[in-house]
Amino acid sequence: MRLTPAVRALSLAAAFLAPGAASLRAQSDTWALTNARIQTVTKGVIDKGTILIRKGLIEAVGPAVTIPADARVMDLAGKTVSPSLIDLTSALGLAAPTTGGGGGGGQGGGTQQAQSGPRGVEPERDVARELKVAPGDVKPIRDAGIGVVLVSPSRGLFRGMSALVPLRDSVGEADVIKPQVAMHIGYQGVSGDYPGTLLGVIAYQRQALYDAQRQGVLLDRFRTAPRGIARPEHDPGIDALVPVVRGQKPAFIEASNENEIRRSVRLAKEFNLKATVVGATEGFLALDALAGRQAVVSVNYPQPTATTGWSYRLSQRRALNDSAATASEVQKRLEGNAAALNKAGIKFALATGGTRSSDFLGNVRKAIAAGLPAAVALEALTIRPAEFAGVDQILGSIEAGKIANLVVSNGDLLADSARISTVFVDGIRYAVAPPPARPAGGGNAVAAAQVAGTWTMTLTSPQGPLEITMTLAQSGSTFSGTMTSQMGSMEITGGEISGRIATWTTILQVGGQSITLNYRGEVDGNRMTGSAELGNFGSGTFTAEKKP
Amino acid sequence: MKRLGVLTLPLMTGVLAAQTPAAPAPAARDTSRQLVLGTAIPAAGTLVAVTNATIITATHGTIDKGTVLIRNGKIAAVGKDIAVPAGAQIIDGTGKYVMPGIIDAHSHSSGEAINEGSRSVTAQVRMEDVLREDAIGMYRELAGGVTTLNILHGSANTIGGQNATVKIRWGLPVDSMLFAGAPPGIKFALGENVRQTNVGNIPGRTPRYPRTRMGVEELLRESFTRAREYQAEWKAYEDAKTLRRKDAKNPEAEPVPPKRDLQLDALVEILEGKRLVHAHSYRSDEILMLLKVAKDFGFRIASLQHVLEGYKVADEIAAANTGASTFADNWAYKLEAFDAIPFNAALMAERGVKVSINSDSDERARRLYQEAAKAMKYGGASEEEAIRMITLNAAWQLGVDKLTGSIDVGKDADLAIFNGHPFAPASRVEMTLIDGRVFFDRNKAPTLEYLIELMKRRPRANTTSEGAQ
Repeated sequence: MRLTPAVRALSLAAAFLAPGAASLRAQSDTWALTNARIQTVTKGVIDKGTILIRKGLIEAVGPAVTIPADARVMDLAGKTVSPSLIDLTSALGLAAPTTGGGGGGGQGGGTQQAQSGPRGVEPERDVARELKVAPGDVKPIRDAGIGVVLVSPSRGLFRGMSALVPLRDSVGEADVIKPQVAMHIGYQGVSGDYPGTLLGVIAYQRQALYDAQRQGVLLDRFRTAPRGIARPEHDPGIDALVPVVRGQKPAFIEASNENEIRRSVRLAKEFNLKATVVGATEGFLALDALAGRQAVVSVNYPQPTATTGWSYRLSQRRALNDSAATASEVQKRLEGNAAALNKAGIKFALATGGTRSSDFLGNVRKAIAAGLPAAVALEALTIRPAEFAGVDQILGSIEAGKIANLVVSNGDLLADSARISTVFVDGIRYAVAPPPARPAGGGNAVAAAQVAGTWTMTLTSPQGPLEITMTLAQSGSTFSGTMTSQMGSMEITGGEISGRIATWTTILQVGGQSITLNYRGEVDGNRMTGSAELGNFGSGTFTAEKKP
Repeated sequence: MKRLGVLTLPLMTGVLAAQTPAAPAPAARDTSRQLVLGTAIPAAGTLVAVTNATIITATHGTIDKGTVLIRNGKIAAVGKDIAVPAGAQIIDGTGKYVMPGIIDAHSHSSGEAINEGSRSVTAQVRMEDVLREDAIGMYRELAGGVTTLNILHGSANTIGGQNATVKIRWGLPVDSMLFAGAPPGIKFALGENVRQTNVGNIPGRTPRYPRTRMGVEELLRESFTRAREYQAEWKAYEDAKTLRRKDAKNPEAEPVPPKRDLQLDALVEILEGKRLVHAHSYRSDEILMLLKVAKDFGFRIASLQHVLEGYKVADEIAAANTGASTFADNWAYKLEAFDAIPFNAALMAERGVKVSINSDSDERARRLYQEAAKAMKYGGASEEEAIRMITLNAAWQLGVDKLTGSIDVGKDADLAIFNGHPFAPASRVEMTLIDGRVFFDRNKAPTLEYLIELMKRRPRANTTSEGAQ
């Protein structure tokens, strides 16, 4: 069925006449997607069917759906519709983590002034209340087929509570699908204070969770019979952890390498947490620990040498001429992670884990090539994350009554040749432009920042500030160089630039031990700010300026 | 896991499989760990015999041409005429020396963090939380005959973190490395590191307390006074609970338990003698100070670490039933380490102190047997005394002397097999066993020599695609 041209013109005019209500108007649109191949995820595949969307919800789906008169029809013959994807690892709309050390110089000022923003020890932090999403931030993510993201702070030991956010062009607190989804936990310490290192971080977490257990008992007691009992102290942080230790609020623990995964599972066991391991890059090395648990698996595959531990592991085997063979073998293992988890019967969702959105589906396809069944991959991108976020009643599959979040692609969404043409979020249609033709010889869409030159850097760590001179030479999106300070001179390895983000590693030799220091900086012209993981020394933040 | 690359396969051939071709490689074994660690996970030491070897027992002399029989990971028999049961895995010890697995009483080899230096009292932090199973230093130590490590917190804090006693079960997940049955311990530190005299004044930052040796003592006393109060608080709570139960007719609200404090929990364990103190120390005056503080609060210092001036106060250390874990000949690396002498270990031993020689370094830890030999050269310790300095005495300091540290029936089969006397300069470790399992075998280890051997042995067909040799 088709609308008469007159009716179409009328509805178009209405849209133009009330620009202020554009979003509401768009949402109330009724769409009939016809002749499509429909991957419902939960109810199998419909080879040729119709999806009816009304007021942001899926009203009906099936091979024979009556199309109402007010519906706008989209003929999707030859195309596939899947639920739009859900990424549980996003930092969209959050201010970049404050980089501890206030102005350099060091004159005056107390110890407190260094920290202004969140320090990563704010269990009570509610991300839904601080979302600031720009339309330009949303589009590239949505163009990768993602309709909903779980936003959480990316650093710290108690990072706060996440919010499930639909990827509409304009989205604010009122649009949040679910606030306070989970308590996000990680292993970064506080720069220049307790807990500064992994040692302190875990001890701090343990103490806080014991405090929360006790607080729960006291609060209960006080609620039942407040008279004659000293009232419990009000502590927003500890109060926020009470439902976590009661197993009511999920704990999302970011743990990538094997030992982090084992640590997170130990913590979950000790406090009986409803825990999900997030990242799980080396999950295939900790299948025993993950058995019976759930994971959000990142497809942001690290270079073998850039992951904690791998440089050690590889160095043992890098004798003679086998380094390339070993590295590629390891790379295959990393890409086969999801397949290994699947084989072991571990429930998991797939997530970007910081992958560039344009690389996301490509990396999912690598996991499939490494042995993950495509059907499992699709579940892991839709219904599974919906389950983990506690919204599988309303999201994650194409079923009547669920939110109309859909992806239209020519060909199977996870097939190598698939191209996404349209994404629906809350029933709002967003067209996806074909990717711009890449310049000959490949290369990234975003030009890599230029870092070549001499930089003066101030690194603030638990040991105090350290002045470093950094000399860099750049070749495309990679760079090399040296960092010189009173601790000596260290060579930079694995220097990579992705857009404005520069990452690199140095190895510090102290007392017969090698300590891997990982840096991540955001380049803004001649300035760079960022953070550093300093192994035994904890973590730190830095600012740097390029000498003219 | 899928099939592994051609090149990685030879490395994974089990020790057992090579020696007893009849035993097939277990099929279900998880090979993913082997890929990254590069060595095979050894078979369980159910029935193993090291035969015809010179056995240095550390407790009852040296046995020529003797046998160590291992059953289920424990030493079942040791002596000259031991019948070897049929089906035992035989390790031919002809011309070899067997000594107890070496114990390093001071190591930081496997910590992913070492100093939580943000505060001077951090009794709540635990090395066990931050261990890594893949620290290459541990593998090198295994190749130096070391089987047990005391993984300590660093010396930045007056009261540092809780230690982890581990056995180097290389190739297994980190949880499997913990030494079951080892009592918990903790690191203390005195002197320059704690005072942070080596940390410059940072403008805008208040220097961390304490800044003097007076302050260190005050902080120790203050901490244990807090611990006593906390202990009393819990006791009062337990008492109140009991009292309330007696008075069942007139129901009273259940008393509220005190807040659990993980730092004070650890300090109370020290007061109750359940947690061993390993104290970094140099000068004789600070050693006496610490022994006095411990005496005043009624606990024992299990070991003084470094203790370079221990020879000056050996009688006091011995009287306190405290061990001393020192370097053989490493000193003058800072002011408080100037008054050291190479005779320290032997002199303290002579006065009845249980002395061990430690590494505090991934490098020195590979050759502790040479370090122990120096106690014979300087100070004239007996051979057995010097052996004990890296075995039984260290085990005693860690509270595991009933389990390991000597070649005696009933103990864990932790052994180092040398190609010559451990104290001879050219000797090296051929094999290291933990619980009767071969965790290091020089003939199978991914050393450069071994890889060259592999290359020579590899059929030509496989090498052509990867280039000429």
